[in-house]
Amino acid sequence: MSELTTAARPYARAVFEMAKEAGELDSWSESLGFMGAIAANEEVAKLLDTPKMAKQAGADAFIQLADGKLDEKAKNLVKTLAENNRIALLPEISALFEVLKDEAEGSVEAIVTTAKKLTKAEEKSIAAALKKRLGREVKLKVSIDKALLGGAIIQAGDLVIDGSIQGRLNKMTMAMAG
Amino acid sequence: MQLNPTEISDLIKKRIDSFEMDAEARTEGTIVSIMDGIVRIHGLSDVMSGEMIEFSNGTFGLALNLERDSVGAVVLGDYKNITEGDTAKCTGRILDVPVGPELLGRVVDSLGAPIDGKGPVETSQMGPIERQAPGVIDRQSVDEPMETGIKALDSMVPVGRGQRELIIGDRQTGKTAVAIDAIINQKGKDVKCIYVAVGQKASSVAAVVRKLEEFGAMEYTIVVAANASDPASMQYLAPYAGCAMGEYFRDRGENALIIYDDLTKQAWAYRQVSLLLRRPPGREAYPGDVFFLHSRLLERSSRVNADYVERMTNGEVKGKTGSLTAYPIIETQEGDVSAFVATNVISITDGQIFLDTDLFNSGNRPAIDAGLSVSRVGGSAQTTIIKKLGGGVRLDLAQYRELAAFSQFASDLDEGTRKQLERGERVTALMNQPQYSPLSTAELGFTLFAANEGFLDDIDVSKISAFEAAMLAHLRSDHEDFLNEINESGDYNDEIADKMRGILESFKSTSTW
Repeated sequence: MSELTTAARPYARAVFEMAKEAGELDSWSESLGFMGAIAANEEVAKLLDTPKMAKQAGADAFIQLADGKLDEKAKNLVKTLAENNRIALLPEISALFEVLKDEAEGSVEAIVTTAKKLTKAEEKSIAAALKKRLGREVKLKVSIDKALLGGAIIQAGDLVIDGSIQGRLNKMTMAMAG
Repeated sequence: MQLNPTEISDLIKKRIDSFEMDAEARTEGTIVSIMDGIVRIHGLSDVMSGEMIEFSNGTFGLALNLERDSVGAVVLGDYKNITEGDTAKCTGRILDVPVGPELLGRVVDSLGAPIDGKGPVETSQMGPIERQAPGVIDRQSVDEPMETGIKALDSMVPVGRGQRELIIGDRQTGKTAVAIDAIINQKGKDVKCIYVAVGQKASSVAAVVRKLEEFGAMEYTIVVAANASDPASMQYLAPYAGCAMGEYFRDRGENALIIYDDLTKQAWAYRQVSLLLRRPPGREAYPGDVFFLHSRLLERSSRVNADYVERMTNGEVKGKTGSLTAYPIIETQEGDVSAFVATNVISITDGQIFLDTDLFNSGNRPAIDAGLSVSRVGGSAQTTIIKKLGGGVRLDLAQYRELAAFSQFASDLDEGTRKQLERGERVTALMNQPQYSPLSTAELGFTLFAANEGFLDDIDVSKISAFEAAMLAHLRSDHEDFLNEINESGDYNDEIADKMRGILESFKSTSTW
């Protein structure tokens, strides 16, 4: 996982800088997401892996799969990746691009996991509190996990705030077991 | 044990009351790979170097390699229940161990957890494993003796409180025996002892603990054990944990003695951890910082002045200096003191006690090579009486060594040379000492006096130890007051010399051995 990140970083940076200069962050984001989804597909991954698939042939096959949804620059990106045999990195490149984009826009994505569905007001108050704490715009994503029993777990990047009842029970078990 | 129901509920109630219910915010990461006790974690963006990381099964790890996209950590404990994909959390704590007087008498592992089955250790303080040694201004020069009770050492290679003295020798030459005798001799001297066993057999450590208990030394000793079957990370950390426990006493104006048995195995463990972390290997495959591994450990053994102690205790303890004396042990192969780790530690310590296999095998035990052993603190760490009487012994042995080759031609030599040889033989025999029988300052003084004044010259070499044993028995029974007097003051003058001469003359004329 981390080795892929290291390999994907230069590409993601290059695309990001290009997109920033041209002011096309959102369209690139969409494009990359799309390409990442294709590359992540099992069949495609297997196809790209076969040694017989010469580099440019692989690039052409990929572009065909994208069914005309890629503009010139995106096609060039695929060809560049193919030269270094790195098409399989597209999901990582997309993820890193999102991180860079969020940083540039001063926003961060937070995943809130609760046992029961949150009301709109609750979501707003969590978002506001997080914004104060992290100092950036917060994009909230909500998910439900009944095993938490109550409370919430908030994940923002690597930071995890565990306010769930299950988490506290676990802590108590550890403390009792001494 | 009778279980009192209310007691149990109280305990639980106390635990629940003190339990903090805040939601905690920590950085988390995912384990990418786990191999040979080394865990690679992706994420953990806020991790600090040397921070404790908690894994989902409750074991801890130590973050050693902070790389751009991953963190390399060693697992401090059993890694069988950790799987790839598990979460790892930062704890915000740099690795620390429990410290305090509650640890005395206990056997603990490198993290301070008890392994002697005598219940939990309830300390109130934690001390960091890695800490800066006291600076130049905070130190005080070494001038108090740290007596080992071993004749050869206290007379010729004296160690002071706050000094580092290396015990170096091949396997089975009595290195641990010297260290254990030093601990046993600290009984009643208000010195706390710490014995750190690194990579030893658990049976050896158990035997040491039993011996210490037998001589009543366990009540002022902490044993930190990372045995041969413990993970390399624990073996690497054990000396630092012991040092942190010793620093607690040093910083409170008390005196402590720590024995690292042995640092060779700690260097091996560190080499294993470094190689698995893919750090580049250097000479003998050790990592580049193996010198720093030992130097930063041994620098923390020092004598600190009263100002430092006052500062560290927030004004509680005034006017007392503290010290932490270290006896690191290094095992050599075939007497090779020019091996890498051996030369490193020799250059770090303030002297060495060199134990020789040939001397050991020919019956001279402790097998101390008086020529190669040295103490760089020397005379300033000796009581007056030993300083005055010890010089003669050292000279006799040095001259004897020079002439030893000629001892085969004993009948063809001149009077003076023969006398020197005979004196040397007797002094060598006198320096032999059985295990676990330390000598006090006064008793050593008498022994040295007897050697210097020629009381041994007419006794057969094979009967020297019998003579000495009889003499000590006589002194202990008939002249206890005089012995105590010498022990208290440590003085030596003509009056005392005359008195000693008188006692010895009367003993020699009236007793048999």
